Amino acid sequence: MAKVELLNNHTHRAVKVQPGAAARYGDNQRFVAVIAGEFPHLAAHYPILLTKDQDTGAFFIGAMLGFDENENLFLDESGMQTYRPLNLQRGAFFTAGNEVAIDLDNPRIDDGGKPLFTDEGEPTQYLQSIMALFRDLKPGLEMTRVFVETLVRSKLIEPIDIDLAFDDGTKRQLTGLYTINQDVLRALPDANVVDLFRRGYLQLIYLMIASLKQVPALARRKNDALLKATSLLNT
Amino acid sequence: MIHPVQNIVIVGGGTAGWLTAGVIAARHQGRIQAGTFSVTLIESPNVPIIGVGEGTWPTLRTTLEKMGVSETELFRHCDAAFKQGARFAGWTTGEKDDGYYHPLMLPQGFTQVNLVPHWLENEQGRSFCDAVTPQGALCDDGLAPKAITTPEYQAVANYAYHLDAGKFAPFIQKHCTMKLGVRHVLADVQSVNRAENGDIKSLTTEQAGEIAGDLFVDCTGFRSLLLGQAMGVGFKACNDVLFCDTAMAMQVPYESADAAMASHTISTAHSAGWTWDIGLPTRRGIGYVYSSRHITDEKAEEELRRYIGPQAKGLTPRKIPIRSGHRETFWKNNCVAVGLASGFLEPLESSAIVLVELSAKLIAEQMPANREVMDIVASRFNDVNHYRWGRIIDFLKLHYVLTKRPEKFWQDNTDPATVPDRLKNLLHLWKFQPPWFFDEFDRIEEVFPAASYQYVLYGMGFRTEVIAGDNNGTRSAAASYLNENIAMTRKLRTQLPKNRDLVKKIHQYGLQPI
Repeated sequence: MAKVELLNNHTHRAVKVQPGAAARYGDNQRFVAVIAGEFPHLAAHYPILLTKDQDTGAFFIGAMLGFDENENLFLDESGMQTYRPLNLQRGAFFTAGNEVAIDLDNPRIDDGGKPLFTDEGEPTQYLQSIMALFRDLKPGLEMTRVFVETLVRSKLIEPIDIDLAFDDGTKRQLTGLYTINQDVLRALPDANVVDLFRRGYLQLIYLMIASLKQVPALARRKNDALLKATSLLNT
Repeated sequence: MIHPVQNIVIVGGGTAGWLTAGVIAARHQGRIQAGTFSVTLIESPNVPIIGVGEGTWPTLRTTLEKMGVSETELFRHCDAAFKQGARFAGWTTGEKDDGYYHPLMLPQGFTQVNLVPHWLENEQGRSFCDAVTPQGALCDDGLAPKAITTPEYQAVANYAYHLDAGKFAPFIQKHCTMKLGVRHVLADVQSVNRAENGDIKSLTTEQAGEIAGDLFVDCTGFRSLLLGQAMGVGFKACNDVLFCDTAMAMQVPYESADAAMASHTISTAHSAGWTWDIGLPTRRGIGYVYSSRHITDEKAEEELRRYIGPQAKGLTPRKIPIRSGHRETFWKNNCVAVGLASGFLEPLESSAIVLVELSAKLIAEQMPANREVMDIVASRFNDVNHYRWGRIIDFLKLHYVLTKRPEKFWQDNTDPATVPDRLKNLLHLWKFQPPWFFDEFDRIEEVFPAASYQYVLYGMGFRTEVIAGDNNGTRSAAASYLNENIAMTRKLRTQLPKNRDLVKKIHQYGLQPI
């Protein structure tokens, strides 16, 4: 159960938080919601795809980090060596209005972690970096939501089926994922294209298309992991 | 000289009129936008609309999608809910546990293998419905046929809608006039002006003067102002087959705002007819359809109130006469009837709106290019419609003929003199071979496919003799479909949300278009 409280330098003066990436801290996610501002960082490593919120059916955009439940193929003993999406970086923190909140039941709350406040009660550099993160993340979520709405309304989304067969003989069939419909994109009237360009959406759309090249790369990563697991079993 | 057909005039602003306008206008949108084709709907500002039935068929999903209507908006504006079929309670014996489903999903592998003889060979205490489709179990659990993540108009389990017909017509009207370019004229028709060849030349209206057209669609309801009155086409009653001639309806509130809402129509047999019970989000629509030759209005109202229980207190039923039958011809000269103007049958299988859709589609797709070829299209339209009405009458009668109920109404229904010959022959045949593809129910737009006959027959205890050894060739295929059904039933029961919960979510978040 989450125990979320608004952060203040009295109650939480002594709280320490582990900032690093690890499976036990919840970085083991195969699909992480992202914002448009992250696309240039993401496209270099991960497929950027859409999926539906199971509770509302609404589309949202995320980075695909793995294929199986709780699988982040970019996570190793020392953390994530590639770009770490803001939604993982924020760890135990949330926003409530303009304030930062913390989930005190989060496994990152750990005496070996980094302090949030100095002895004088000032935010530490770490907490300042979290506050800066939310200054990007919060408006970014709204901006991304409007971008997604535009994609849906313009019929620019289509389902993508990812069927993979790995060298250990296992298969993965991923459903419920969506990407840019390039046929619709190519057929857009000029006026709509200019509108998408002016709003900065055209670049986002092409980053999403380019990121599809990361699907086979991610599959290779998975294949290597599976083979490594099999050879370990055999020795 | 060739007389092109370019101006369509529809009279009547109920469900039939607006659906027909929408289907025709959507199909001919290109010409409407080019200004070479028009659809005009004339609606009397003074005639009240009869909300025909509140049950629909899955065809409505395709019809609305083709018209460009948003399914989310349908749920929000028409008080719509999901319908996965009907449960017939008490039709066979009237005992407490007597009931069966007519679901909307086909039996598993229906196009590959007929599961009936395989089920008959080894029933294992399961009903035919539960053996071949998950849908009865989904209805038992009050589940929706899809999830919030399923796109608009797509199904996990096949479905239609329960909706408020009084809200549906204005909803479609708005779409027709705002999006599809249908002209809406509020006027009373005073006279129908005929040409020398008997065609309708124009209509004189009280408020909008004379309105000319090339094809006139009669959607004026029971009055049948154009085809019946002006063109003099007679009415063919079928009350010798289907006895019910009166309906008594009530709109019943739920006990609480979040009470369970059934995702199927509940049709319950009574002493001289049956009740429909349709769950909309805001209320239940309940009505008793009965034969006035077998029960008095007072006694019928008593049975209706007993069925509803305490929720009926303080409610006044609305009495609606039912005239079962149809026009002798449906399209004459340049006049075609759709909806109640073409005929009506008791709403036992929600056939009213689906017939409107099928007729509208046929008119839209076969729209004669000119007057010279119109009679050819008309003759084909009439053939198809005679076939459809005949099959629906047969299918409705099927629900009655297998009963073992002792009341006079039910016993009279089993009198062979009241059973159409075609149905009588089929019932004889089905004792020795189960219905499937070879029963002629294989027309492209068959209203009730062979699967529907299977559900009703075997739901009511009818049994077909299985010839020993006849199943050997298809046994392994059948076994895999029967097993697949068990797995699918288990999976869907855990995955699908409750009917009311999903409708609430659709109001709140909407369904995605893809």
